[in-house]
Amino acid sequence: MRTSVQEDRLLVVSDIHMGNLLHRPRKAFSQFVQFAFENRYSVCLNGDGIDIAQLSMSQLNADLSPSLPLLSRFRSVGRSVYYTVGNHDIALEHFLSDVGGMQVVPFLNVRSGDRRIRVEHGHMYDEMFLKHPWLYFQIMSIGKLAIGVSPGVYDALHRFMVGMLGMVEGVPRFFRRKVGTEELEAPPGIPGERQCFGLAAQSVGLRGFDVVTFGHTHIPGKVEFEFGTTYFNTGAWFAGPWCLAIHRGNTWFGPVADLTTDGDPFPIDGGDASGELGS
Amino acid sequence: MKLPTGFEIHEFDDGEIIVREGDESREMFIIRTGSVEVLKHVAGHEVTLTILERGSFFGEMSLLEGLPRSATVRARGNASLAVLRPGSLLVQLRRDPTFAFELLQQMSRRVRELNDQLVFKVATAEFGNRLARSSFMLSAAGEYGAVGPEKKSGEDGHGG
Repeated sequence: MRTSVQEDRLLVVSDIHMGNLLHRPRKAFSQFVQFAFENRYSVCLNGDGIDIAQLSMSQLNADLSPSLPLLSRFRSVGRSVYYTVGNHDIALEHFLSDVGGMQVVPFLNVRSGDRRIRVEHGHMYDEMFLKHPWLYFQIMSIGKLAIGVSPGVYDALHRFMVGMLGMVEGVPRFFRRKVGTEELEAPPGIPGERQCFGLAAQSVGLRGFDVVTFGHTHIPGKVEFEFGTTYFNTGAWFAGPWCLAIHRGNTWFGPVADLTTDGDPFPIDGGDASGELGS
Repeated sequence: MKLPTGFEIHEFDDGEIIVREGDESREMFIIRTGSVEVLKHVAGHEVTLTILERGSFFGEMSLLEGLPRSATVRARGNASLAVLRPGSLLVQLRRDPTFAFELLQQMSRRVRELNDQLVFKVATAEFGNRLARSSFMLSAAGEYGAVGPEKKSGEDGHGG
């Protein structure tokens, strides 16, 4: 398993949830893969790419079939497709190695230019997932049932659960702050995200990373920490998906739609697909 | 600068000693920027064991085993290090499970490299022994005139 790689050009997206009945942007994903291929990028699908936890096989076939032939061509032109494992596809931990031209990894340490970039799904920092894994998977199963009823029911359930989690974590924090065992000032993080993710991004960033990228929370955003690390979250493909583009250590962060319609933020002269810029 | 609990950042100048062989200190270090060299004194000479770059860990052996430092570490150029105190290790492992994974990965790599070096040394020593044995046998045999290099028939004019 190779978790440290060198990449000049890399696109990172997360939480595509292919195979989940809620996943709709099938066309947008194949356009994204086409864009990456034509503009000589390697690609990292940063967790929950295939939604094994809430899988519909027919949906997966339909979601994956337009982009799979192209994804399998990356290696033949000297570029890579990385797949970091998330919580909805944790079963893929059995395949931590090269699978059909795709490198399945628990996380990725990327060196690009003179910068070190950490790409990781982020579920390993979710306090709920760590402390109550059984409950977490039960909730995911209930979510699968809700999707079967209707996407609206699932959305309502998801909002309710996130609210509950916020309350479960927020009430003890309120009292800890009252008695002075926790600082009043919240640690920096992406607005809307639970605190555990901002803290984790700080902790990982202190290990010599210029950039830390998570997915998992479905909330896209960017924060710059005081000690110099930038934290990105690339959100999810249920809503408008976001992307982190990396070119020789420089980063661009924005909606995938902007990337595919406005063009490459780091254009290469004579940008055909057969270049050898990858690892 | 506000940092997560348990972490401190220390800056070191070029050539500054970070830990010294035999010291009783127990901190573990993670290289944020710059690089360091790991040195050991062998028979009065300073031997560079390795050079560690950004993102590498060191000092974990003293932290995990509670033993004195096994080598000296010196900054190469200016280096910024994240320092993890002994009382913070378990918190850090809990907060960042991939830290434990990478620590094990690094130690596994070191064991593999040491195994490779050991195999190379054993193979070299064995080859040396065989060579010495062969040359001894040859010289002993030559002394008694029992065995000599085979010569092709007629090569020296004596024939069979």
